[in-house]
Amino acid sequence: MTMLKEFDLAGVYLSPMLLYALIAAVPWALVREGLGRAGAYALIWHPPLFNTALYLVMLAGVAAVLHQ
Amino acid sequence: MSIARRLTRLALTLAIVGAAIGAGLYLWTLYMDTPWTRDGRVRADVLQIAPDVSGLVVRVEVGDNQPVKQGDLLFVVDPERYRIAVERAEATVAALKEQADQRRRESERRNQLGSNAITAESREQAASAAAQAAASLHQALADLETARLNLARTEIRAPVNGFVTNLQLHVGDYASAGKPVFAIVDGDSFYVVGYFEETKLAHVREGDDASVRLMGFETPVSGKVAGIARAIVDREAPQGGDLLANVNPTFSWVRLAQRIPVRIALGPLPEGLRLSAGMTATIVVEPAR
Repeated sequence: MTMLKEFDLAGVYLSPMLLYALIAAVPWALVREGLGRAGAYALIWHPPLFNTALYLVMLAGVAAVLHQ
Repeated sequence: MSIARRLTRLALTLAIVGAAIGAGLYLWTLYMDTPWTRDGRVRADVLQIAPDVSGLVVRVEVGDNQPVKQGDLLFVVDPERYRIAVERAEATVAALKEQADQRRRESERRNQLGSNAITAESREQAASAAAQAAASLHQALADLETARLNLARTEIRAPVNGFVTNLQLHVGDYASAGKPVFAIVDGDSFYVVGYFEETKLAHVREGDDASVRLMGFETPVSGKVAGIARAIVDREAPQGGDLLANVNPTFSWVRLAQRIPVRIALGPLPEGLRLSAGMTATIVVEPAR
């Protein structure tokens, strides 16, 4: 069953994408922190581009999981 | 920095960018193509209850929001005048019956007289008078039926199973025939209408399963697509003066998807869910593959 579901913030019903975006931000921040500590950004050509792309991938992942 | 290291840096970044493009496409299809809408409404058939006869309201037998069964007494219009009308009609029937009987007997008698005692014209007049009296009696009987019907209609009964809504009728109010005094929501008629963007309609077909989530209720209600509206108003071209088309000059690069009403028939309701017409619903249609 599809789980597209609104997000109830004290009576204001928001689009589920906002919820997905907020959830995806958590692992994204953790992964960035981890990569930074491990010094992995030395292996990255363009860190801001990499981070943006990483976030999109995680957002899609969150949406795919919650959508099942 | 070595060439190999530079290539690794480039390849890693481009790989994740490629993955991000794929992820973006997936999100886009998920969000834009899934036939779902947050713009849904619970609806029900609402019957406007009006008395069939005018008069003072002498009894109101229901309370606001009370469930009623088909045939339950709702309220009573003062029957006194209609009872009197029945008596009048009965008296008229009695008088006309007497008259019709008398004319019939008279006609029979004249028929038995020989033609040397009575003219043919006089015999014909008697027969005609008898027929007219019988017709008048018939009319009086019909009037009596009407009076009895009016008397019966002073009791207003529920036409369906449902719920009294917004009852503003009190004893002593004057109720006019044909003028609605309150509404009954047909309790067996609840359905949901979802306003789907036309871009999503390609994925909606009659008979598809739908899941309806009402604002404030966690459990979804199952449903089926019962029908898709075949017409909405063209908002860009209202009728202008002089019967001319009045076409809105819109920005041609921003076009909003119109919303088409899709009717969803509801399945069994979960425990504890009470529908009220007007509730907001989120509807997700599962296209049959």
